[in-house]
Amino acid sequence: MENRIKELTDQIFEQFKRSGFDINVDEVYKRLKLLIYEFKVPESEAIRTIKNWLMKELDIPREQLIIESPIVKIADITKAGQWISLKAKVVQLWDSNSPNVFQVGLIGDETGIIKFVIWAKSAKKEVEEGRSYLFKNVVSDSFGGRLQVNINRNSEIIEIDEDIELPPREMEVIGALVSIQQNSGLIQRCSICKRVMTKGICPIHGKVEGYDDLRIKGVLDDGENFYEIILNEDNIRKLTGIDLERAKRMASERLDRNSVLSELKGKLLGRYLRITGTRGGRYLIVKDVDFLGRVNKEEIERLLEGIT
Amino acid sequence: MNFVRRREVARRVFAYELNRSTHRIQPEGEKAPVYVLTPLGMRCNRVYIVGALLDKDEIKPDSGIWRIRLSDPTGAVFGYVSRFQPDALESLMEIEPPELTAVIGKVRTFEINNRIFVSLRPEYITVVDSEVRDYWIYETAKKTIERIRNMERKEDEDCRLAWQIYNPDLNEYRQIVRQALMSLKEEYEMIVEEEKEEELKEFEEEFEFEEEEWDLSDLLGE
Repeated sequence: MENRIKELTDQIFEQFKRSGFDINVDEVYKRLKLLIYEFKVPESEAIRTIKNWLMKELDIPREQLIIESPIVKIADITKAGQWISLKAKVVQLWDSNSPNVFQVGLIGDETGIIKFVIWAKSAKKEVEEGRSYLFKNVVSDSFGGRLQVNINRNSEIIEIDEDIELPPREMEVIGALVSIQQNSGLIQRCSICKRVMTKGICPIHGKVEGYDDLRIKGVLDDGENFYEIILNEDNIRKLTGIDLERAKRMASERLDRNSVLSELKGKLLGRYLRITGTRGGRYLIVKDVDFLGRVNKEEIERLLEGIT
Repeated sequence: MNFVRRREVARRVFAYELNRSTHRIQPEGEKAPVYVLTPLGMRCNRVYIVGALLDKDEIKPDSGIWRIRLSDPTGAVFGYVSRFQPDALESLMEIEPPELTAVIGKVRTFEINNRIFVSLRPEYITVVDSEVRDYWIYETAKKTIERIRNMERKEDEDCRLAWQIYNPDLNEYRQIVRQALMSLKEEYEMIVEEEKEEELKEFEEEFEFEEEEWDLSDLLGE
């Protein structure tokens, strides 16, 4: 037990020394022992109390003290106000409207994904999508009922030469299909590389034999974010009843391959979809998709009650 | 800075709030998107609105430019469709108003007598059913309530700007949301009624059907 107290004392000493402050080790030891032995205060609380006392005593502004927060996993972040360090990969960057925000998006490690905010005031270098970093001394926060981590002036971002693995993340998105992009509908794929051909020409193999396929590249939008999705033949059949055979028939009856796309646009655009899928690079790979049904009355009533 | 412009999210906003948006925000940069700031402190560039398409009129004969009017429970917005929006134009030609439609489009501003008005430039117009419309009202109500809360907190930069420019009466917007939700609730009660009526009708039809099948000769004992 005596050893433990000594250990903790050394830790505190080291930390203050790194920030350029010398402290009275004996006094710290005495106080720690009192708090932990006599008063049965948990270690973390005891340490915090001592640090606060030292900062007051030595008149050190909080910003000047480099506090090394422990490296944790994203799944360990359970409440707001935790000072932590994370090894994580930048999954996605979003646009921000606020001039206070320098960068915002998602970071992840093998245990989970979390939103992060780099404040403009933190004066940090930009992070890039797909790269991994050590985010030192960041603080967890809760915004709109969800946890996030904030990178502020006291934080440090160090790029690391490690490819942090992300969890196979299955997510559910409810949103409106707000766009269907080019190369959707009844398309032709190169029989060698499966790439989509335009006007019978594969971007790699030139003029080759192609085969027909049905797919939609679209954008699902929930009003806050958008997700690029790909719907395959199965998904399209489930939603519209149109499969590849029927699409081919439509095209030959109307002598126009684009008529399939027009038909699909009419049946799908502007509709709400519920999609479960995994994120693979730029696209959300759709596992299951369905139209969102009627909103139920309880939800409406709950909203009405909330308006004060 | 190497900066890829990201797609603009389609905002959910009631016509009432959108029509009262008179402040334009144009960030610096050549191709920077233009936004309107709504009275509840939201920047929007693209919107998704589900409502009744009330009119479509060609502004001049053979001009190829069509003016549409789209209404949700809180009001109506104007939009203009031309050959530069081929998808929207193609579907608009097939639609005979009034019809329930979903419109995805960009918000434009124009100025008359020093006042700024908003209009839509639809990218897509599609005919949808009432389920989509109902969910849209619900979702838009929810997001409007969130914006009202953000306005109360005054933390966000854009909220502060909205206070400065519009000084909105938040109760007015609460009232609008309530009104929209009430219209939805009433509709639900009607749906339940209709379903009951239908059941009754089915029952009656069945009954009539059976009546015809009865062989009356047994009853007459012949």
